[in-house]
Amino acid sequence: MRGGLFSVLRPYRGMVALLVLLTVASNALNLAVPTLIAKAIDAYSAGRFVADSVLLEFSLVAIAVFVFVYLQSIVQTYCSERVARDLRREVAEKISVEEYAYIDQVTPAKLLTNLTSDIDAVKNFIAQAIPSIVSSAFLIIGASTLLLILDWRLALTVLAVLPVIAVTFFLVLRRVRPLFRKTQETIDWLNRIINESILAAALVRLVNSQQYEYEKFLEANTQAKQIGFRIIQLFAGLLPIITFCTNVATLSIVLLGGRFVIDGSMSLGSFTAFNTYLAILIFPILIIGFMSNVIAQASASWGRVAEVLSREEMQDVGTTVADLSGAVEVSGVSLRLGEKQVLNNVSFSLVPGTRNAIVGPTAAGKTQLLYLVAGLRAPSVGSITYDGRAIGTYDKESLHSQVSIVFQDSSVFNLSLRENIAFSASASDDSLQKAIDTAELGDFVASLPEGLDTVVSERGTSLSGGQKQRIMLARALAQNPRVLLLDDFTARVDTATEHKILANVERTYPGITLLSVTQKIASVEHYDQIIVLMEGEVVAQGTHEELLATSPEYVQIYQSQQSTNAYELQA
Amino acid sequence: MNYKLNTSKDVPKGTLLTALARLVPLMAGERRSVVVAAVAILLNSGVTLAAPALIAYIVDHFLLTHNYAGVMQFSLVLVGLYLVGLVAAYVQTLTMGRTGRRVLFALRNSLFTKLQELPIAFFYQNKAGDLISRINNDTDRLNQFFAQALMQFIGNVALIAGSGVFLLVLNWRLGVATLIPAACALIITQLISPWVQRKNLTNMQSQGGMSAEVQESLEHFKVVVAFNRADYFRTRFDEVNQKNYRSATVAGVANNIFTPIYGLSYNVAQVVVLVYGLSLVHAGVMTIGLLVAFLLYANSFYNPLRQLASVWASLQQALAGLDRISEVLSMRSDMQVLDAASWSESHSASGAAQSDVPVPVISFKDVVFGYVAGNEVLHHVSFDLLPGKTYAFVGPTGGGKTTTASLMARLYDAAAGAIYLRGEDIRSLSPSERADKIGFILQEPFLFSGTVGENISYGNTRYAHASAADLAQVLAERGLEGLLERFPDGLGTVVATSGDAMSLGQKQIIAFLRAVLREPELLILDEATANIDTVTEQVLEDILQKLPATTTKVIIAHRLNTISAADDIFFVNAGSITRAGSLEHAVDLLLHNKRQS
Repeated sequence: MRGGLFSVLRPYRGMVALLVLLTVASNALNLAVPTLIAKAIDAYSAGRFVADSVLLEFSLVAIAVFVFVYLQSIVQTYCSERVARDLRREVAEKISVEEYAYIDQVTPAKLLTNLTSDIDAVKNFIAQAIPSIVSSAFLIIGASTLLLILDWRLALTVLAVLPVIAVTFFLVLRRVRPLFRKTQETIDWLNRIINESILAAALVRLVNSQQYEYEKFLEANTQAKQIGFRIIQLFAGLLPIITFCTNVATLSIVLLGGRFVIDGSMSLGSFTAFNTYLAILIFPILIIGFMSNVIAQASASWGRVAEVLSREEMQDVGTTVADLSGAVEVSGVSLRLGEKQVLNNVSFSLVPGTRNAIVGPTAAGKTQLLYLVAGLRAPSVGSITYDGRAIGTYDKESLHSQVSIVFQDSSVFNLSLRENIAFSASASDDSLQKAIDTAELGDFVASLPEGLDTVVSERGTSLSGGQKQRIMLARALAQNPRVLLLDDFTARVDTATEHKILANVERTYPGITLLSVTQKIASVEHYDQIIVLMEGEVVAQGTHEELLATSPEYVQIYQSQQSTNAYELQA
Repeated sequence: MNYKLNTSKDVPKGTLLTALARLVPLMAGERRSVVVAAVAILLNSGVTLAAPALIAYIVDHFLLTHNYAGVMQFSLVLVGLYLVGLVAAYVQTLTMGRTGRRVLFALRNSLFTKLQELPIAFFYQNKAGDLISRINNDTDRLNQFFAQALMQFIGNVALIAGSGVFLLVLNWRLGVATLIPAACALIITQLISPWVQRKNLTNMQSQGGMSAEVQESLEHFKVVVAFNRADYFRTRFDEVNQKNYRSATVAGVANNIFTPIYGLSYNVAQVVVLVYGLSLVHAGVMTIGLLVAFLLYANSFYNPLRQLASVWASLQQALAGLDRISEVLSMRSDMQVLDAASWSESHSASGAAQSDVPVPVISFKDVVFGYVAGNEVLHHVSFDLLPGKTYAFVGPTGGGKTTTASLMARLYDAAAGAIYLRGEDIRSLSPSERADKIGFILQEPFLFSGTVGENISYGNTRYAHASAADLAQVLAERGLEGLLERFPDGLGTVVATSGDAMSLGQKQIIAFLRAVLREPELLILDEATANIDTVTEQVLEDILQKLPATTTKVIIAHRLNTISAADDIFFVNAGSITRAGSLEHAVDLLLHNKRQS
């Protein structure tokens, strides 16, 4: 488990020490400036004023302050950005070795927040809070000591306002903090509305719901404004009260100090110095108050980041590296996702080199079943084996490079077409070309001016749904898999292309074991095995003919597709 | 039309005055608050400046003469002064704080309104991740400035001005000398602030790039896992992380340069007052008391100036954010609603209103279209769709089917030619008229966070505010309730952010219900059932059959079973649309035409 916020600093001890040192040095010199001036005036009064030496001393101090302050700001920037970068890298590395199930569970949005604003809060802690608190503490202690030395009676009177200010501050901040939290929640809400309206831009325009979106936004924005008003209300009270307290202290210097000066127990010089140091004293108290907020925020953020970092490494990672034959055994597999029973006691086996299909209604759990077979998720109950060995005992890399999956939704990276297709490290130039030909992408690639080096973009309109899906297939084939898992692959590819592609796969990848989730019985009628999945359970399995004879559910699905079967068969 | 947002590094030159001037238009409509705040600021600064003078007076006239009664009397004046200051500071903070909040509120509103006005092309030309980061982060920066820094900024400017005047009035020669270091600091600021601004802009861009990269990688994480490319995520992230680190460090060092510069200028000013002042005292031109006052006022001039320097960075960042927001705000949609009169005269020959032939629901006349100039996607396409019929658009992927459908719903405007909806130029219809007539089920359905019920009634003027029970009844009346069985809690099923937990098939069912419930005259289904199982699809098919006889249906599909019920089939290939006549002909075209996509 990770320690508190300050434990972040441990590896940067040296740099933080330097930061503290520079901060103290520049503040100490700043405290000395009034003394220098007093000395100069005293010297003038005594007729010993030498302009050159004053100029020299003062210049030295001024330059030293300038150098120290700027060095401090460089060190604080460098140090805080270093910490942020290293933390980000650490979190990203942690994420990169995680399982898909984990990312799916904590959601990418939350991880994005961890990587950006949470780490920024920790960064602010180092860049702002540490130097501010060090210098404030130094100034408070320094100025108080000087006051006590000057005149302890008056000093105690003046210092009496400090607890009053501290208590006021504490009370107000205690009320403001929940409001800050609420502000953050409101900002998240606002951002969600903005994000959804951007992602749903087409829908919003089609149904002309701009006004509705605006009303949703207005509600969140209004709340943000109102919380802002309440925070301002509190601060509008706080700042003037603190100034007033300071003024009361000034007043007590005038009244009490004036008394002392008049009765001769205090010099006029000390009286003036009291006023100067009082001004130095108040500001740091405010700073510490504000910084306590920065620290609270940073602690909360650090807690969230530490949660990600302190997640235990995956237990018993598989080590078996072996060539797979394609024999897969799924036995008694159940899967629960949250409250929902997605799969229930599913069993079937795949014979090497055979073609198998999973058919079933929407939300039957087909996709999740495919994820289990691909090793992206672990089942809650039951086992999945490849060649008799449990899926978990295989080395991840060895498994994933031999079991390829084509996802239902297409993921195009902002890379060249070549890098998108040869995404797996185990893809070679030969296998790339073979995959492109098999996926019937040759003509498309040839039509691009830059061919395979064309960069395709995230949401680019340059690719049609079917083109994207064929790229996904080519990506899966490019690593020469032993087992190919297709998730509703043909949904967006036209019938002619689909038939051609599937025939290509059988021809160019002989001996491959195929497991295809599909809606179209016609394309899988001649498969070796068809598994009918409904509401997470296998209701029937067998060949097309067997199922027609035994499974009413299958017959129902089959008949719903009959009307056009004649045409499908032509091809 | 180009809606691409600027990613270059051009920065408008910024000085203190131009920066302030750019904030002024935001305050329009806040005149009363600004006046109240200005009065409060003047009073508060007045008190702050007068108090030291009063204390100096007490010292000179009462302490030195041992007159404690005078001390008491003037202390009372001081108390009065402080009380005025207390009230003024309260009013100042409250008024300015609220003004800032209101300005931010209005700015966010106009930004969001603008986003809603812009056509779909804007969203496809800019990366969603970058757009989101731009809007979230930039408004946040403005938020921080308005909520925290603005107050300090304005109060300090008032103090600086007041002290400056005092310095010049007390002794203009020493005053000018005292202000020279400040002038130097300001000149340096002016010289380097474009550079600082540029560094901040670069930093913001690299931040946006980092968010976009993380978002993209995490959304495709299963691919990263399934293809053993943990290293892809790591290297890509490392690259943007390192880039962000460098730009952030440079920006930090640049932003922090102001504090030491202003600190130095204050120290120089102190030396000037001391050395030049003492020489003036020596020459008998001024008294030593005046010299002490000078030191005090130099302090109240330079201290806020130094604070201003620390707020300056925040102002610069706010302005950079404002720039990026202004860029979005200055975008103009080129898809305006045409004046009905202007087109009807010039197009009266379109024959739409002529006698016995029914008016086509949709009519394409010689339509040319391309997403980017010079790359035509549709070439001179013409066809008519008649009311109550079912049309199928088939053809290879990438042939232009979705594009044709998008033009029917005016997601884009044709580059040449015209599109008529019920005989009227589609550009002359108001968005609400158009939305009433057209239902469009998109290829990639989108779900809002909320419930299934809210998603079904989304954007529906009739049922948007219906309760779940009412909505359930409406769906039951139309025989649609059976589809809800696919959702564990029916209409109340919770949809998480962007519907991530829903299957594509479930999303398509919701999109289907959403469109059908609107009872459009023209219903476009763009691969709308591609991921729905055939049994459910049969149910959807029955529902389509039961729609009013006047509903025109446009079905885009690869799967032939979905188009068997079509009255007419169009074959879309390589940007041309031909009428296929029969299903057999369409099948023939599909099977034997060489793909040209």
